[in-house]
Amino acid sequence: MDNTGKEKEAMQLMADADKKVKSSGSFLGGMFGGNHKVEDACEMYARAANMFKMAKNWTAAGNAFCQAARLHMQMQNKLDSATSFVDAGNAYKKADPQEAINCLNQAIDIYTDMGRFTIAAKHHMTIAEIYEAELVDIEKAIAHYEQAADYYKGEESNSSANKCLLKVGLYSAQLEQYPKAIEIYEQVATNTMDNPLLKYNAKEYFFKAALCHFIVDELNAKLAIEKYEGMFPAFSDSRECKLVKKLLDAHEEQNSEAFTEAVKEYDSISRIDQWLTTMLLRIKKTIQGDAGDLK
Amino acid sequence: MSSDFETYEQDFGTLTADITNKIGRIPKLSGEEKTQLVLNVDKQLEEVRELMEQMDLEVREIPAQSRAMYSTRLRSYKQEMDKLEKDFKRSRIAYSDEVRTELLGEDAASSESQRAHLLDNTEMLERSSRRLAAGYQIAVETEQVGQEILSNLHSDREKIQRSRDRLRETDANLGKSSRILTAMLRRIIQNRVLVFILGAILLLVIVLAVFFKMRGR
Repeated sequence: MDNTGKEKEAMQLMADADKKVKSSGSFLGGMFGGNHKVEDACEMYARAANMFKMAKNWTAAGNAFCQAARLHMQMQNKLDSATSFVDAGNAYKKADPQEAINCLNQAIDIYTDMGRFTIAAKHHMTIAEIYEAELVDIEKAIAHYEQAADYYKGEESNSSANKCLLKVGLYSAQLEQYPKAIEIYEQVATNTMDNPLLKYNAKEYFFKAALCHFIVDELNAKLAIEKYEGMFPAFSDSRECKLVKKLLDAHEEQNSEAFTEAVKEYDSISRIDQWLTTMLLRIKKTIQGDAGDLK
Repeated sequence: MSSDFETYEQDFGTLTADITNKIGRIPKLSGEEKTQLVLNVDKQLEEVRELMEQMDLEVREIPAQSRAMYSTRLRSYKQEMDKLEKDFKRSRIAYSDEVRTELLGEDAASSESQRAHLLDNTEMLERSSRRLAAGYQIAVETEQVGQEILSNLHSDREKIQRSRDRLRETDANLGKSSRILTAMLRRIIQNRVLVFILGAILLLVIVLAVFFKMRGR
């Protein structure tokens, strides 16, 4: 009851605001404080949008926010316009992902124009997440994550940049773009190796890089592991490294049983996640494929 | 005479029976009771020996014809007494059967309990190894959680640093704007003072003009 009342109120406000904008378009209005009118209209749009949000009418709310944003642009209030676009994007996220992405893109343009790269990077991440979750367009998601990582690097926020890069690596490996994934993982691992807070993560990244090497070529994997051990001695103690060595041996002998055995052993101690299972399965297929060839 | 001998024989019989009984009981006992019983049997054996001597004397006094029978009897009694003495000696050092079963019984029981012991041990070992494996798993999970937390902390640290820098910038900007505002304020005051002075001068000029005009007329 309350919500529908709010909705009616909101529609009323929208109508009022529209009238105000139109009236300020006329010559007289422009002379006598048209700016005031436009500002009032902006505020009314914002209030209407909030009421739509209360009524859970996300599309209408997003629409109202977009209108407000455009008015702000007219008045050259870039900052307010960008914030309104972001609000519109948030509202649309729940209803129409594509519209949300459009609004967010516009907001990003404004922010990069003003030189606020950190916020722009954050919004790139939001867009990438939308692509990841709702629209399932992995390529575009990768592109946005890359962009976000670049902006973060530019602003010297290395840990956020690393977070984005990791996602890029994850998805590229899933899409079988292994050289890129390898490069990313190695880069991130070398960066985190020295940092005392992050060095416990480094071994995980080396492990992932080694796996990607493995899928491409076994010899590469061997060389890579030696290189990593040289760079980061703690890596050789980890269970992950031992697992990779066992897998390499199993692969050499074309022994898929030993392979499964080693994987099961690792799994019994710490669960293997989705990405890891996919990669290991691919490697296993290469073993079985080779065995098939030999037959 | 022979009746004496018979009485002696009867005494001998009862004594030997008693002694055999006691000898049978000695190995089962130990300590105080044993020494008492041993002394008892010793005394009884002494009595038996005395009886034997008296029977011997009696037999010598018997006339030659019936002596043979009595002397054979005497000899058998003597043998019996020797045997009793030997038994007595052996009983003082031998282990009785009961003690043997006591010892071996424990042995037999302990071999049973050894098996149960071993099974218990294996089970305990298995339980311990299972617990260790579980503990290791938990440790690994803890490590992973710790990794995540550390990386979160790192990114938070960067955010805080950035906010602090931005705050300092804002502070500087605020200082600048405050200075600009004071400058504006000063200028406004200056302007106002100027306006007042000009107004005053204008007024003075007008007054002077009127004054001179009045004078001139």
